[in-house]
Amino acid sequence: MSAATSTQRRSPAAMVSIAVAAIVLIIVCLFPFAWMALSSIKTLPELFTVPPHWLPSQPTLANYATVLFNSNIPRYFLNSCIIAGGATIVALVLAVFASYGFARFEFRGKPLLQTFVLVGQLLPTAAIIVPLFITLRWLHLINTYWGLILVYTIITLPLSVWMLTSYMRGIPVELEEAATIDGASRLGVLLRITLPLAMPGVVAVVVYSFVTCWNEFVFALVFAQDQSVKTLPIGLAEFSTEFNTDWGGVMAASMVMTVPVALLFLAFQRLFVGGLTAGATKG
Amino acid sequence: MKSSISPGLLFILPAIVVLLLLIAYPVIYTVYLSLIDAHGAWTGKNYANVLKPYVTRQAFGNLIYYVGGSIVFQVILGTLAAILLNLDFWGRSAVRSITLIPWVVPGIVAATTWAWMFHTEFGIINYMLAGTHIIPGPIGWLTGTNTVMPVLIAINVWKLFPFVAIMVLAGLQAIPSELYEAAKMDGASFWEEVWYITLPQVRPVLVAVTLLLVIWGLNAITLIYAITQGGPANLSLITPIQIYQLAFTSFQFNEAAALSVLFFVVAAVIVAVYIKVIPSNIEAAK
Repeated sequence: MSAATSTQRRSPAAMVSIAVAAIVLIIVCLFPFAWMALSSIKTLPELFTVPPHWLPSQPTLANYATVLFNSNIPRYFLNSCIIAGGATIVALVLAVFASYGFARFEFRGKPLLQTFVLVGQLLPTAAIIVPLFITLRWLHLINTYWGLILVYTIITLPLSVWMLTSYMRGIPVELEEAATIDGASRLGVLLRITLPLAMPGVVAVVVYSFVTCWNEFVFALVFAQDQSVKTLPIGLAEFSTEFNTDWGGVMAASMVMTVPVALLFLAFQRLFVGGLTAGATKG
Repeated sequence: MKSSISPGLLFILPAIVVLLLLIAYPVIYTVYLSLIDAHGAWTGKNYANVLKPYVTRQAFGNLIYYVGGSIVFQVILGTLAAILLNLDFWGRSAVRSITLIPWVVPGIVAATTWAWMFHTEFGIINYMLAGTHIIPGPIGWLTGTNTVMPVLIAINVWKLFPFVAIMVLAGLQAIPSELYEAAKMDGASFWEEVWYITLPQVRPVLVAVTLLLVIWGLNAITLIYAITQGGPANLSLITPIQIYQLAFTSFQFNEAAALSVLFFVVAAVIVAVYIKVIPSNIEAAK
């Protein structure tokens, strides 16, 4: 943290404006989340009170009970875990090998292939929904876990390769050369030496992939129309598009969906933000 | 000693094959689909059918408005937040984490929560604004013809300005402190430092971030689809939603493919122009 921090004494006016700006920032970022949490523990009549109450007068867990025992949300939660987890593993395995290839070898066509991987990240997903749908239907993968896991690879693989490649470039080659002299194969070097050293990068990629897939909406909308594979975002959208929206239930389900990713993200925040910004600033 | 295929190529081959199958093949297949009719005969009609109706132009206009309007405020607010978060003050790391919340919250959750807050009768926003007499009475934010797009843009800005903030913050931390010390010697004020040192130094980061925001913006479906589904009366319809509806509500796969191709070309041109124009601007500025 070599920030351009001036530790000199500030004028009172400067300190007040910093405090005000920080408080405004906190309120802007936190208020919708707080309102969601408060709404999720209000009773239905209280939610539909004019004027609205800031704090619930009779806090209740009834909305959570509805979500957990009287809806499909638990099933969708499980589906989301399986699909996001599966897509993360597939993308990670492919990205580890590809990043090692990009970081450690020179070969013809490498710049072209690297550009291709990056372009994959730039592609508007809406533009390929139709052919993907037809292809998956032909492969009988619509409404299956594998179908969504495969299409999610498109979203997560390019950036995973990008982040891991820049991480592996930062690992000294000398360590690998020593192992090669000792007779280790290329694959052995990757798995036993480079991969363990690249663990922080791997964790960043895993968190990024999992959170991205967990939140993904459009592909899930198209490729998972059956209850047995629907994911949480779709379940949540279903909740709120009926004519009489159960706002308490929606807010409780929103909490159930948000808390796991928020915890995961905050736990690995430093690592993840570091990996992402390193890719951007060092190029 | 040397085999015909480089070992490096073998390492990247699986990823490339998967990406070819899932990206290159669908792109080519879309072009093919857009040129045939439902019976498989060659035709140019799909493009004509897609281009003719007013709704296509309207959706595209809305998309440009949505992306452009969002980016301006995302970059300004994100940069201001980054400048604040780079200052030294008590509780800074906590404020940094809190700033990330909008970005971490799933898009669909942001959509439902803001829809509830903007609710005409029971929403907290109408209550706060009407209670303080900023507005005379409750406003139907998401159903009003003049309010629906600005509100959607505001929600989108809220969702993504933290991303700009963390990226710019990383750029700020890479600025050598000697530059600021020299400016202090010359008696520069805080805002002079921001204008003459900080902004020029983080310009490459801003360029990269804006490009990402353009791409994400062109791709955005979740917020608008979950909140308005393009309504009222197509006022918030954007091209990606139009493609989705053509394909999966009207089942016009070939027309949807034609629109996809057009959208793809326009998106590619925008990104290419951006990549070409912006860096030369920077060179010129130097």
